[in-house]
Amino acid sequence: MNDTTAGHGLVKRATGIHHLDTVTHGGLLAGGATLVIGEPGCGKTIIGLQILASVLARGEGGVFMSFEESREQILRNTDSFRWGPRLRESRCEIIDGQSMKGAEFSGTFDIDGLLAVLDLCARRVEGNWIILDGIDQLLRRQPDSQSAIDQIAQLNDWSIEKGYSLLLTGKHTGNDSPHPDHLTGIEFMLNTILVLSSTLVDKRLNRRFRIAKYRGTRHNPNELAMLIDDAGIHLPYAEPFVAASVPAAGQRISTGIERLDKILEGGVYRGSTTLISGQPGTSKTTLGAAFVAAAAQRGERALLLSFDEFARQIVRNVATLGIDLQSPIDSGQLSVVARASWDGLVEEHYMAVLALLDDFQPECLVIDPASALLKSSGAESAFLALEHLLAVTRTRGITTMLTSLSEADDPFGESSLSHASTLADTWIVLRYQINGGERNRSLSVVKSRGTAHSNQVREMILSPRGVDLADVYPFGSEVLMGTARVQKESEEAAMRQRQVKERVRQQQRLEVEIERTRTLIQQGQTELERLQEELVTEHRDQTQTDRGADRHQDSILRRRNPSQGGQDQ
Amino acid sequence: MNRALADDNHQHNATLILFVTGEAPRSRRAHHNLTAALEANSIDDAPTREIDLLREPQEAISFGIFATPALMHIDASGKRRVLYGDLSDEYSLKNFLSAL
Repeated sequence: MNDTTAGHGLVKRATGIHHLDTVTHGGLLAGGATLVIGEPGCGKTIIGLQILASVLARGEGGVFMSFEESREQILRNTDSFRWGPRLRESRCEIIDGQSMKGAEFSGTFDIDGLLAVLDLCARRVEGNWIILDGIDQLLRRQPDSQSAIDQIAQLNDWSIEKGYSLLLTGKHTGNDSPHPDHLTGIEFMLNTILVLSSTLVDKRLNRRFRIAKYRGTRHNPNELAMLIDDAGIHLPYAEPFVAASVPAAGQRISTGIERLDKILEGGVYRGSTTLISGQPGTSKTTLGAAFVAAAAQRGERALLLSFDEFARQIVRNVATLGIDLQSPIDSGQLSVVARASWDGLVEEHYMAVLALLDDFQPECLVIDPASALLKSSGAESAFLALEHLLAVTRTRGITTMLTSLSEADDPFGESSLSHASTLADTWIVLRYQINGGERNRSLSVVKSRGTAHSNQVREMILSPRGVDLADVYPFGSEVLMGTARVQKESEEAAMRQRQVKERVRQQQRLEVEIERTRTLIQQGQTELERLQEELVTEHRDQTQTDRGADRHQDSILRRRNPSQGGQDQ
Repeated sequence: MNRALADDNHQHNATLILFVTGEAPRSRRAHHNLTAALEANSIDDAPTREIDLLREPQEAISFGIFATPALMHIDASGKRRVLYGDLSDEYSLKNFLSAL
């Protein structure tokens, strides 16, 4: 039922530990030995016990034999796990194998008796799983390592023949250890080896899990972070990312700031990721709060996860900016959760966020600031945690806004976040512009995939009415803000007034000119008429003169011709 | 020694028990070595018993013996001592038997 064939006849048996079955693509060998090695305190025993509890939960039996602890010790230790009480069930056989402690040895020994006992117990509980915890405690009694190797081979052959899933755990003393390593050589012989390790990072224990070998089958070969909590072991990054299931939504949703929506052509895409980076006090939290408030107003569920402030502080602080978080909290649409970044490993935070997402099922998520994860232990994997988290939010279509604190004295503050910014679809940078003796908040959209956004830096104004972006006042290569902007605004107003006055004056001047010209035209007209009259008079005079001359000529002619009177008067 | 599944009420008359697994070479060697040592040290009055774990695997749990061969000595107060191995090391075997 829980066995799967993985090709070449290799049969796997589910361990019942979800993450372990994920990375092993179905579980451990259905017939054969698996070696779990690691330093003390890595969780080897817990893996064994949790597998046992899981198989008991699905109604099968199992045998656990410890060469290091008594049955009582084991049960006491596992009581802190949720599945611990299950180990007291009758189908769980816990054998105390530590009787060899303090015994004397004379020559080599064999383990045929051990196999006989295990076979007896496994048949008694009708189980397929046998766990030998601390096998190194048995093998180190052999005077030579070859006998130890032979006996591991014997165990392996026996489990294959009987079809038992055999889990062997053993301490790995490490290469720099002066003590002989009784498991040396064994790794060459077994086909399946899991390596657990732990390192201290900032005085915190970081557990790691790796499948060093799983011959003949696909598996995840990466070293993975491992957590142990009251549910047992977790491999937070075991889940594969299914890119095909990511919905590509075309719908835009509001950021909660009207003018920012305008810049982004209507807001951010649903299911996308927005990164807001800025120095302390540049209102990153306020933008996050505005975003979740807008989501709640649309009737969606929103989750605000804060690593900086307590929930009540955030609610109080943004209320002064006209952002109401209390009502949606009361109505159950908004959840504000505060976590202390120093109070856990990155992986623990990651698991906690996943649990929150599962519990609350939000449509919008804000993590403020996501950069706080860098402060928690295991910081080298903070980006990995973010990547995995964003993979989850994208897959589920959760619109996410991450804020990131950039250091004040780091001139490359923005570029150092470039790794995180590649994860984001939209990157908004908040800054202080120091100009004319004052700090002003500015906002610019560095990138926004699928949006023809403005590249202009804008001033961000916080007021009891909310967050707003001021008009752009480019001044040379600068954008004016604050007093400089106000000054520029009044300067422009004065200039506009001057221009109006100037225009009025110009109009008046023109009107005067027109009037004067009109007078000139009238004067010219009068002169024209006078001249025309003069011309007419002149014509008349000339006609009269001409007539007189004619008459004179006539009289002369008459006098010359007597026949025609010829007589002067 | 065994806590969980040991049958503490189980009475054994023998004070010396040799745990073997069938005809395994080490078991046969241990049997031979023990017999020789008992003779050499003139111990013939100690009640000796041999348990084959292949035939009686539950005895392994009762006595907490999982590696064979193993020689167990139970003294008058019920205190148990075990010597594992094929008993090829004469010195340690002699040392073990000196308590008898």
